Amino acid sequence: MKNFFLILVWLTILSGFSQAFAQEWGEIETAAEGQTVYFNAWGGSQPINEYIAWASGVVQKRYGVRVIHVKAADIGDVVSRILVEKAAKKQKDGSVDLMWINGENFRAMKENKLLYGPFSQKLPNYHLVDTKNKKTVLYDFTIPVDNMESPWGMAQLVFLYDTKPVSEHPKSMLDLLVFARKNPGRFTYPALPGFHGTTFIKQALFELISDSKALNRPIRQSEFEKNTRPLWEYLDALHPFLWRKGKVFPSSASQMLSLLNDNEIFISISFNPNSASNAIENGELPNTVRTYIHTSGTIGNTHFVGIPFNSSARQGAMVFANFLLSPEAQARKADPEIWGDPTVLDTQKLAGREKALFDAVPKGIATLTPKELGQTLPEPHVSWVQALEKEWLKRYSK
Amino acid sequence: MRLSRQGTSRIFPVFVIGLFGITILSGLLGTLLPSMNYLPVIGHKHVSLSVWFDFFSYPGIKTSILVTLFSGLTASFGVVIFVFLFITFSYGNALWKIFEKILSPVLSIPHAAFAIGFGFLIAPSGWLIRMVSPGLTGFVYPPDWSILNDPAGISLAIALVIKEFPFLIMVTMGALGQLDIEKTLLAGRALGYKKEQIWLKILIPRLYPHLRLSIFAIIAYSLSVVDMAIILGPSSPPPLAVLILKWFNDPDMSFKLIAAAGSLFLFFVVVLSVLLVYLIERSACFVSESWITNGKRHSFSARFKSIVFFMGVCIIGFTMVSSVVLVVWSLTWQWRFPDFLPAVWTLKFWAKGLVSSFDPVMTTMFTGMAAAFIGLILTIGCLEHDVNFQTNHIMQGKAQNNNKTLYYFLYLPLLVPQITFMAGIQLLLVIMKIDGYWIALMWSHLLFVLPYMFISLSATYRAFDRRLTDQAMLLGRPYMIVLFRIKLPMLLRPILFSFAIGFAVSVAQYIPTILVGAGRFSTITTQVVNIASGSDRRAIAVYALIQQFLPMIIYALAIILPKILYYNKKGMQV
Repeated sequence: MKNFFLILVWLTILSGFSQAFAQEWGEIETAAEGQTVYFNAWGGSQPINEYIAWASGVVQKRYGVRVIHVKAADIGDVVSRILVEKAAKKQKDGSVDLMWINGENFRAMKENKLLYGPFSQKLPNYHLVDTKNKKTVLYDFTIPVDNMESPWGMAQLVFLYDTKPVSEHPKSMLDLLVFARKNPGRFTYPALPGFHGTTFIKQALFELISDSKALNRPIRQSEFEKNTRPLWEYLDALHPFLWRKGKVFPSSASQMLSLLNDNEIFISISFNPNSASNAIENGELPNTVRTYIHTSGTIGNTHFVGIPFNSSARQGAMVFANFLLSPEAQARKADPEIWGDPTVLDTQKLAGREKALFDAVPKGIATLTPKELGQTLPEPHVSWVQALEKEWLKRYSK
Repeated sequence: MRLSRQGTSRIFPVFVIGLFGITILSGLLGTLLPSMNYLPVIGHKHVSLSVWFDFFSYPGIKTSILVTLFSGLTASFGVVIFVFLFITFSYGNALWKIFEKILSPVLSIPHAAFAIGFGFLIAPSGWLIRMVSPGLTGFVYPPDWSILNDPAGISLAIALVIKEFPFLIMVTMGALGQLDIEKTLLAGRALGYKKEQIWLKILIPRLYPHLRLSIFAIIAYSLSVVDMAIILGPSSPPPLAVLILKWFNDPDMSFKLIAAAGSLFLFFVVVLSVLLVYLIERSACFVSESWITNGKRHSFSARFKSIVFFMGVCIIGFTMVSSVVLVVWSLTWQWRFPDFLPAVWTLKFWAKGLVSSFDPVMTTMFTGMAAAFIGLILTIGCLEHDVNFQTNHIMQGKAQNNNKTLYYFLYLPLLVPQITFMAGIQLLLVIMKIDGYWIALMWSHLLFVLPYMFISLSATYRAFDRRLTDQAMLLGRPYMIVLFRIKLPMLLRPILFSFAIGFAVSVAQYIPTILVGAGRFSTITTQVVNIASGSDRRAIAVYALIQQFLPMIIYALAIILPKILYYNKKGMQV
């Protein structure tokens, strides 16, 4: 009886909470109606642009929120603009209401107080997010997210290879060196400090470092030389066998996709496990391309949407962010024929129609199963990024 | 009796000097302060030189500066020398006439669109090698050659020469009207000189002063080019201007300071290079004096002539084929090496591209039209003031005064690298709360539109035979009526042409559009750059072609309109 009473009290409190919660969200939705949300996001991919256009159409119809996709060639432009607005003391009516962001840009915005504040916990769909198995939804490049951005999709470093010239793919960084020696000029990676190139270097370091625990803690200058020596030795050995003998590097992973299609290179990298399937689907790659990862596993992370401090359409931005988290939007995004961006949700928490949405997502022709992709490796502590980039530039960008 | 009006027309140059001067100087200030470590918003409040130290110790900076100098100066010298050789050997011949015809469509090709096409042409997996593979070369897979993005920036320099050549030829054609070409040639021939010698010894030295500022603009552009350098230039390290843009966009905010220092340094490099060219010009005058007057009558070997001819054909060829390859890509579904043509074709990308670029195209058209229209009023206003000013001076018996200051201010946006002052202007606009307004966007375009319009119109405008207007005024018509009923209608063709150039310049603006537009305005050029940051060449080709098509419409109108309006006045059609 006592227990029953306790449970009753708990239930009352809980329902009070959720009622308050729902009430608050209801107010947000009301305020959002009629707002125009300028969503600043990279615009280099037509499938992604089309997906965003679809999502904007839905929230316009359902919530009366007008979302305008401001396409950026480099989200750094947008961060700069927000910084300029802060410098000019523009506290409201900022030009950006929501932005696609992660990693170092998130860190920069958080450190310089360019973000609005914790909001993702207010989104009703946030409780569906898989915070248990997908740790990177809480730690963006090891920086605590603190609800300052809302997860949107998952990423994992994968390798793309053309099965026509390559019968057996490498399974580790050392294998990759063997491959490069046998096929000079048929592999490369994007120039640092671009983010794809940096990820490749981090992956190599992870596989080559003797004490991989050192990667989880802030960098110590005294250990840097010793810890990274195997990496530089590896790269020194690899570079002469790279595309253009390591004298020229592609500017981005996107450019590598074209190189793969042109047969200039046989192995490329991507941060989206579905990108090969998606590119085959829209004719950008031949259907002989497949995906693989290294047996040690590969680095993974999450990308998010965040609200700048001076947005005047915060509620509208939250409504849109919440919709992006909905099973409906997430399942559509995961479809390789649409975009193929893995979901941040825990599909175990779903039932009925929502679960069916995910079950219906076709597996792409070149996509690995979740089991094959395995658990992702965590990003090294964020302090490694700058040190690695600096050293790489010093050595290979002379 | 006063045959001209000077007092009220002074407003035009004053307006231009004032606004151009203020905008650019404040932009420079916005760059100077961060370069001295002063950017309070990210916590840097103490002025020091440490930023400059960071700049000069950035890995690869020396190579980056050298690559910038090499590709920029090679391109500038290359294009100037080649233009001189080209007029010397080809003036008036068939190739020259072809150039006169195709000049406007070629000029209207945006730099980025050309670079994309050119890159796909010359890459080791590009169209040229596909044409002969595997048949002649045996390449089943593309060779691993550093033709594109070569570390020294040679492919970038070549592309710059090809792209700047028509611009300088256009300026030259305008200036030639002011020299008595035929008479000089006739006199020279009578004295026993060959045609080529007359050009080199007499006409080109007289032509040069008319081209000087345009040449300076070419130097500044080649040293600070961003879009072409990203596509065709080296990557590690990239040319300075690309590096600066990367720093501006770096997540680590402290790089904004280095970017500011870098862009001032780039400006410094431009100033030094311009000075260098000026010194070369002076010493060339000094050295060549005896050569010019030595009286020798050499003839040139025919081989020299055919090389120049061949290069001229190459420039036309590369420009045309670069556009053709874009057309092929835009219709591609799948196209792999070494296929000469795509394996699977599609119209899907056009269907998608045309729909999604409708709004950006409208923005581009409105902005370009408005900027070119205001540019036209300012250009004509300034030129009219200038012409009258000079006439008055002559009539009052004063020495000829060239009213030079105006031109320097006018050319400032072309001489100062865009990136050096646009970031400062962005801050200014945000403080004044006018960023993201269309009017600010249009103004920022006007900064670059006006000088090009001025360059293209001034020669013909000044060469206008003022006896016609004098006559009309003597017949009792007021100045304004004479201007609008006689002078401007007679100059309709060059005026429309200059309008088309202004429009084309506005269409091509990227950095001003993103910095001033606050993301509120998407033009066809921002679309091209965005989609080019991805990998889909088919979509890139569609947008690049749309971008190329817009200025071409206006050029076509500029050619056709006078023919329609003056269909019954043959003399006015020229």
